[in-house]
Amino acid sequence: MKSSFREGAAGLLLVLPPLFLLVFVILVPAGQAVLDTLRVVRDGHVVYSLARYQELLHTISLRRSVGFTVSVTLVSAAATFVLAYALALYLRFSTGWISTLLGALFIIPLFIPTVIASFAMITFLEHHGYVASLLQHVGIQETPSLVFNAVGIVLTEVWASIPFATLVLLAGLQGIDDSLIDSARDVGAGALRTFRSVILPLNRVATVITMSLLFIGILGSFTIPYLVGGNAPQMMSVVMTNYFTNYLRPDISVALAALSFGIAAVAGGAYVIGVSRREREVV
Amino acid sequence: MSRQFPGLRWIVPVVIAAFVMSISLVGAPAQGQVTGVTLYISGDTNIQEMFDKDLLPMFERDTGVKAKMVFLEHGQGAQAILDKIIAAKRAGRQTDVDLYETQPTFIAQGASEGIWLKITKDNMANAAKVDPQRPEVLVSSGFGIPYRGSSVVLAYNAKHVKQPPKTYDALLDWIKKNPGKFTYCDPQTCGSGQAFLYLALYKFAKAEDYSTLSFDASRETAWEPAFQLLRSLKPAIYNNGFYPNGNVAVLQLLGRETIWMAPVWSDQGMSYLDQKLLPPDIKLIQISPPFTGGDSAIAIPVHAEHQAGGLMFLNWLLTSKAQTVVVNKLAGYPGIEWKYMPKDVRDKFAAIATNFSPLPNARYQADAKRLWQEKVAGSGQ
Repeated sequence: MKSSFREGAAGLLLVLPPLFLLVFVILVPAGQAVLDTLRVVRDGHVVYSLARYQELLHTISLRRSVGFTVSVTLVSAAATFVLAYALALYLRFSTGWISTLLGALFIIPLFIPTVIASFAMITFLEHHGYVASLLQHVGIQETPSLVFNAVGIVLTEVWASIPFATLVLLAGLQGIDDSLIDSARDVGAGALRTFRSVILPLNRVATVITMSLLFIGILGSFTIPYLVGGNAPQMMSVVMTNYFTNYLRPDISVALAALSFGIAAVAGGAYVIGVSRREREVV
Repeated sequence: MSRQFPGLRWIVPVVIAAFVMSISLVGAPAQGQVTGVTLYISGDTNIQEMFDKDLLPMFERDTGVKAKMVFLEHGQGAQAILDKIIAAKRAGRQTDVDLYETQPTFIAQGASEGIWLKITKDNMANAAKVDPQRPEVLVSSGFGIPYRGSSVVLAYNAKHVKQPPKTYDALLDWIKKNPGKFTYCDPQTCGSGQAFLYLALYKFAKAEDYSTLSFDASRETAWEPAFQLLRSLKPAIYNNGFYPNGNVAVLQLLGRETIWMAPVWSDQGMSYLDQKLLPPDIKLIQISPPFTGGDSAIAIPVHAEHQAGGLMFLNWLLTSKAQTVVVNKLAGYPGIEWKYMPKDVRDKFAAIATNFSPLPNARYQADAKRLWQEKVAGSGQ
């Protein structure tokens, strides 16, 4: 009894500092900021109203920015997920020097700062860049715009996110027992069937984690959309910065932040559900 | 040296102190008695180089007065220096800042504290050569004297454009008639794009209403037709309405001859031409009304230790000889009026040698940029 109490106290002590940090440095200021977006001065009195959010949604450029952000994020996350899954499957089940080489190569983007990656992408994709001259050799004169628009952002986000997504998915795949796959094969399941009925369900937790973290990461990314994106529509992170520093309208900026937090919370919810279900299964 | 002659450490300050005291006993020193002057200069490394290698040695040769420069790279610490000057004034002490070169907005900040000396042609002869209506003189409440400036001008490719537009309206016409051959950078990212935006605003509203320090949001309703106009230009802008990020991106498009015309900074355009980064066919002209521009200004504290030295340096800096160095080194605008510049300098800069339009104040600038994003770039077609 006494020792369990001591253990509990020690555990609490260990948890307290990060909890303190979470509550006083993140939750309280965030809550205050959200409250601030609802406070409006009317005739010298402070009243609570949704006026800022109304202004936000009535401004065409902001409305478009929200839609643009969500769709760019979804497309990037989906593309990353598909590519990363394929890569992870290959690395998990294939042996030989190509697989070893790929296993070392795919991780590289993780070690390249996004600023540098973004500028590299610009040189690579721009009007007179490598891709354009390559296509010209094949005889295609008019290359579509690949940079300073949604295409550029998606390509760069995918490039930058693949290592992380692959690592998480690969870790999940490596947790699947080889004997399960072998027995599926033994009863006559083909590769596709094995993937659909054995690997995919067993790797569900890693899938949920990857997808939600990809979504939140891309939604909140700044450097890539700032450098590779176009003038308009812009991703919300860029718009927030502009309203905060360039337009001297921090209130709109905070309202946008609250909105993007709401969007991210959906993905966060999926993450929590996915992870807690795993724990229940383990028990 | 002081280790060998320990006494010397004391002698120098004592002599200086005695000298200063004797001067203050006599009253304001005549020019011949000026011993030294401390200049606080801010800017990029090219400014530092210009002062170090050209202006200061020239000044010492011309006047025999030793000038010491404290350089604030990229204006770092500009606020601290201002605070220091204000603190000395409040404490009733002298300040070692004899001359402060900074942005006019900083000078305006100190104006209410009464820290700046009013410079007129009575205490500095060459003040008469400065246009009193120049925007920066007005912004700094009359305490800042401009000594270098740069303006946005119109760059065009003479190989493709035989008759460049001379007015803003003619430019708008040209853009519509030559779709895809003009762009301006996103005003968030550069001054040359802002200049194009501000001229559109000034087409429908008076520039003077926005360039002073007062702010009234209701005046912005007058801008509405300007944003409609810019939105209607969008299909004629390069790449169906692509506004590059930054001044350099626009210069690169001009250099590759992807576009034939764009607003650029005069000094950047000139130096790109000098470095052959732009083809020689690119010409710079100023249109009417002129694009906006900005100045760096100089102010002198009322409680400067060597105020006479500061005035003397500023007076010298505004001679046509020193101004020629400034204009040539920076490919910028002189602080004095063009008519006081030597003829060969005037000829070289003939196409852009006019005044420039004033910038709106910071609050209006922020709103103009936001509304441009909301109503022009972000509005859809």
